[in-house]
Amino acid sequence: MFNARITVPPQAKAGEIVEIKVLVRHPMDRGGQSDGQGGTVPRKILNRMTATYAGAEIFRIDMNTGVAANPFVSFTTRAIETGDILFEWREDGGATYRRTARLSVA
Amino acid sequence: MSFPTSPPSGRSDGPSRRQVVAGAASGLALTAVGSGVARAETMEELVRRVTDGVAPAEGGVKLDIPALVENGNSVDVRIAVESPMTEASYVRWIHLIAEKNPFPDMARLHLSPRAGRAEVATTLRLAQSQTVAAVVAHSDGRYVIATAPVVVTLSACIDGG
Repeated sequence: MFNARITVPPQAKAGEIVEIKVLVRHPMDRGGQSDGQGGTVPRKILNRMTATYAGAEIFRIDMNTGVAANPFVSFTTRAIETGDILFEWREDGGATYRRTARLSVA
Repeated sequence: MSFPTSPPSGRSDGPSRRQVVAGAASGLALTAVGSGVARAETMEELVRRVTDGVAPAEGGVKLDIPALVENGNSVDVRIAVESPMTEASYVRWIHLIAEKNPFPDMARLHLSPRAGRAEVATTLRLAQSQTVAAVVAHSDGRYVIATAPVVVTLSACIDGG
């Protein structure tokens, strides 16, 4: 159901601004459709993604139903140190998903 | 709904036939008044809600979104804001609004000075042809807006898809 493809540059110079691209596989079900039994399907989307790097949150996106299924997000950050960028997604219903991407700084 | 053919003077309950006919003639006005409660918010109201009532300035924001999209289910958008992105002056967040979506607030992207550059991209859902707005909150309390009209040929339908 959930799969994330995170693209960071293979190598960055200290102080360089790098672009980070994240493509997630998720239906981002906006809910409200009939479930065939007289009820409606509840909303189930990823409502938040945060990115943490070098000790602080560097980016966060709060998403509503206006974000496409299999959402793509791109943002930038200044390369500080070699380390993992931690990505965390929060899904409706309380599930969370975590992935990391390593940024090598020369 | 059917109306009896009895003369209007004989009816005391509900609108008379004559009133109904007159109402139909001015149908547009009546609809506007009657649906006042459930009326969709205008773009200006939607923007003021996120800016705490402040009217945002224009300029300094590049909202890159196709003017014509075939499929509203996934619309690429890129926003670039002029900002030094230092501790003293940076973009706090970028809020994306589609006034005619069932939920007009699509997403809010929070940035920090460590971004280095205020440039983000994402993919949106657009229910129909409409104006899309990016409201930008600067760290000094300023609000800036950029809008773009988008024509959607195949909308992101409410059911399925």
